[in-house]
Amino acid sequence: MAEMTDEEKKAQRAKELAAEAKSVKAQLKQCDRQVAMVFDLNKCLGCQTCVIACKTQWTRDEGMEYMWWATVNTQPGKGTPRDWQQMGGGFRGEEPRAGQLPSKKDFGEAWDFNYEEVFYGGKGNTVHLKPSGDPDWGPNWDEDQGGGKYPNSFYFYLQRICNHCTNPACLEACPRNAIYKRKEDGIVLINQDRCKGYRFCMEACPYKKIYFNHVTQTSQKCIFCYPRLEKGVANACARQCPGRLRFVGYLDDENGPIYKLVKKWKVALPLHPDRGTQPNVYYVPPISPPRIDEQGNLDLTKPRIPTEYLKFLFGDDVEPVLETLKAEMAKTKAGGKSEILDTLIVYEWKTLFGPFTNDPATIAPRKA
Amino acid sequence: MQCTKVSGTADQLLDPAAAVWAGVPAETLTMAATPLANQPSEYIKASRDEKVIGKCRSLNVQSVHNGTDVFFRLSWGDESENDKEVVDTSMFPDGCGVLMPVASGDTPIEEMGSKDVPVNAWFWRANYKKDEARNTIARGLGTTEFSKTSPIRARGAWLSGVWNVVFTRPLSVPEQEKEAVQLAPGKTAKVGFAVWDGGSGERAGVKSFSKEWRDLAIQA
Repeated sequence: MAEMTDEEKKAQRAKELAAEAKSVKAQLKQCDRQVAMVFDLNKCLGCQTCVIACKTQWTRDEGMEYMWWATVNTQPGKGTPRDWQQMGGGFRGEEPRAGQLPSKKDFGEAWDFNYEEVFYGGKGNTVHLKPSGDPDWGPNWDEDQGGGKYPNSFYFYLQRICNHCTNPACLEACPRNAIYKRKEDGIVLINQDRCKGYRFCMEACPYKKIYFNHVTQTSQKCIFCYPRLEKGVANACARQCPGRLRFVGYLDDENGPIYKLVKKWKVALPLHPDRGTQPNVYYVPPISPPRIDEQGNLDLTKPRIPTEYLKFLFGDDVEPVLETLKAEMAKTKAGGKSEILDTLIVYEWKTLFGPFTNDPATIAPRKA
Repeated sequence: MQCTKVSGTADQLLDPAAAVWAGVPAETLTMAATPLANQPSEYIKASRDEKVIGKCRSLNVQSVHNGTDVFFRLSWGDESENDKEVVDTSMFPDGCGVLMPVASGDTPIEEMGSKDVPVNAWFWRANYKKDEARNTIARGLGTTEFSKTSPIRARGAWLSGVWNVVFTRPLSVPEQEKEAVQLAPGKTAKVGFAVWDGGSGERAGVKSFSKEWRDLAIQA
């Protein structure tokens, strides 16, 4: 056999290295179970309590000011960070797809307010409370702007956290193997000791849910409240949600609401499934109010929220889901019972959280 | 490559503008992009172009020692100074590094050493604190680990489109036997170099490097 040329040797070595890297990545992705969330978009009132619950629990330290691991944005809208849906990332087939690095301005910087002046400076009657500078973007800038034209205007809220994907683009991107899925529950974490703040994960995440901490010089993100879960307590965002719309549990728990909504009844869908990361956060899509025609009459033939827009967000499967939900509603209108709707209504709050129903007041607070 | 013996204290020689450096011959090394095909991330491979990465194509290296400490002065052209303070998500600092195998034996420079023969990398970044440099050990691509303490100091100055960075460290660091290369007058060491252009988003393995080991003859 002829000896390999230098070029052939290099190519051969590159293949070997790729195979090694692939096997390491496969191990980092491997998990025995997967925790997941379902958000019912029909119940969110946009109160931002989840957002603040997360903020106060996890991102109060210096370097984390601009971080909002949990966000709620009005749709249609530019979202957080601004225009994240146009920033690429994820996968095209098996191939990773290049993504952009959002700037702090895109996320919306933490504003300073003139609290001193207004509350303690004796100017409460003359000076308005306002952010310093002249901000032109923030994490909830386009709140309630929505889409459509009157009288067919529409909007709905979209809650977002890290999707704790089954095929995380961030994990795939990290050249230091600092990102991994926890074996016991599939939560995606960034090992802060291994992370060097290179931010390839931020580029690669198609959901733009990773933040860079300029103090620690590392990347950080939603940790699915794993220290709470370990104590049987649901995530802060879910536990504090007054709308009872954030379901938490194991994807394979056949008695839990997640399994039923996602696998059994198939009424909850991942966001942008086309990005190829297989998210573990699912959404019950919003049911449209009826359209109003030019004469001011209800037009039940066309949904107020354009189906194309919902398909853009949740893929083609959104149509059968909406059909199922409508059929279930018709069933109850006719006096029947619907297990799906009963589950979504959540008569008893504990049914939201699978095995994570312990009282957070019973566990020790986080050490400062 | 020669590491000539000079007189001068470590504090004097750490200054990239110190007069002594003007009399030390520089070796000009051709720099190249690190092989994209070897990157330990399919994302990096898919999102980068080897023709574009490795902004620094030429590096001047000077090396001296004063009997107790060794010095490397690295100079390269860089139109922009990036970034003294990395405060935004999209900012990356300029930086450079010196690489040496920790033990004897063949070890691939383009793979950051191997499990059998680790490499010792000395890192300087434009955003590090004054005179800060970090000591790392690597056993292959993506494996660099900072050691708890660093015996290395470095000082960089950017002037009119040129970075001048001086690294220094005691020749011998017995307390870091496993984490750092041990040098001595009269010995020869293998050495390589890397440069990151922060303004082009270079970081991690996305950088330019000196392609192969050079023998560094440390004057007795």
